[in-house]
Amino acid sequence: MIEVRGLTHRYGRGEAGADSGDADGPVSDGDAAGSTALRDVSLRIPDGEFLVLAGANGSGKSTLVRQFNGLLTPDEGEVLVDGTPVVDDLVAARTRVGMVFQEPRDCFVAATVARDVAFGPENLGLSREEIDRRVERALAAVNMVGRGDERIDRLSGGEQERVAVAGALAMEPSHLVLDEPFTGLDEPARESVLTHLIELNRGGTGVVVVTHDLRDVLAHADRLVVLADGEVAVDAPPAKGVDTLGDLPVRRPERC
Amino acid sequence: MLTYEPGDSVGHRLDARSKLLLQAAFAAAAFGHTDPVGLAVLTGLTLALLALASTTPRDVFAEYRGVLPLLAAAPAIESLRFGAPWVDPAVAADPALAAYRTLLLLALVAAYVRTTPVRESEAAVARLVPGKPGRLLGLGVGLVFRFLPVLQADIARTREAMAARLGEERPLRDRVRLVATAGLTRAFSRTDRLAVALRARCLSWNPTPPEATFGRVDAGALALATALVGWAVWSAAATAPW
Repeated sequence: MIEVRGLTHRYGRGEAGADSGDADGPVSDGDAAGSTALRDVSLRIPDGEFLVLAGANGSGKSTLVRQFNGLLTPDEGEVLVDGTPVVDDLVAARTRVGMVFQEPRDCFVAATVARDVAFGPENLGLSREEIDRRVERALAAVNMVGRGDERIDRLSGGEQERVAVAGALAMEPSHLVLDEPFTGLDEPARESVLTHLIELNRGGTGVVVVTHDLRDVLAHADRLVVLADGEVAVDAPPAKGVDTLGDLPVRRPERC
Repeated sequence: MLTYEPGDSVGHRLDARSKLLLQAAFAAAAFGHTDPVGLAVLTGLTLALLALASTTPRDVFAEYRGVLPLLAAAPAIESLRFGAPWVDPAVAADPALAAYRTLLLLALVAAYVRTTPVRESEAAVARLVPGKPGRLLGLGVGLVFRFLPVLQADIARTREAMAARLGEERPLRDRVRLVATAGLTRAFSRTDRLAVALRARCLSWNPTPPEATFGRVDAGALALATALVGWAVWSAAATAPW
């Protein structure tokens, strides 16, 4: 369970995130000293849930999910993973919550597929046999078995996305958070990534998909949360949530 | 990250050439007055110039937090001796003042970068240095100012990716190796893409420069620069052996 309580996050002037070029930078509130990305956000994400976190660029989506495993620290409020505040046990939070960034290349720290997927398990101090088992299992989950020795920079965008997912899965997290996983992918690659996410979710892994485009994922989601100006604007089951979107600038499906 | 931020401060309104000349004059004065009194005067001037550029000392320390340990290391190393008493603090005074002088110069550089668009720096260098060398130098300055923040952001993302998968649990040496390897790989990749982007947008050796404006505020800056150079020359003359 991921629990967000009264979370507020501000970026200082020139701070990473405020000018990093991310599509989901913070909302400007006219404060010359910085900007407020999230205002008093509260949220509970049970284990095994398929949650779609939507919102326009700058609505605070990426800032919110980066708090789930302590990559960002809130100015106010707190985030708990399985009842433990993230700031109290970063290792536990980062083991339980796997993160795949918007740009797959931002996820990689090694040159080849297997070396990169093994990076997380190695940091857990596991035996080599266990690491190999996890790497094989993670690669199998994204249909990349037998490609461990390939160079990541020679893979297609969809394959890189799947390797990034495998890297997070090798930690065997209870929740997998994906920031705009379909951006820049063609239709077959989108379908491939989505199929793997659905299978993972059926296997019990909670999935949080951050997106501004609801067309692909909403039909498979258990719940829709929409952020607007750093606040929760919609929190409802998908069918009901879509009806309450109003003028919110997200790309919605023709039929849910 | 040390990069240009739009604004309407006095620093923003100054012509880039005035700011470059002022920095050069400040450097001359700093090298001419290495005693505590001279550096105290220059510290006051630095704080005033930072305020005029909407840059706080805290911003400066944040920008240079990686450099500060190196500046502090210089006097510490100088004070070490081979043999008893092993440490001689008295000889560390001059290096400490020199390191402090460097910090003041870096503070002015931070104020310059924060208040000057890259395009203006490029044009100012090209105008100050005549001919093709000036254009080449200007282009180089532009590339460095544009490319460096991108590389810094890449390295920050690599570190974030490592942190997300518990990379911080690894030994420091291992982390440095991983960040360096991934950073270099991305830097080469970025360089390739930048080269293509520059060619695609018709990179010119002689582009139309931004309009140069020399106003009343520039006159004040030049007067200050002249005074600083005069102070440096006076100091040099006073300490000369003749």
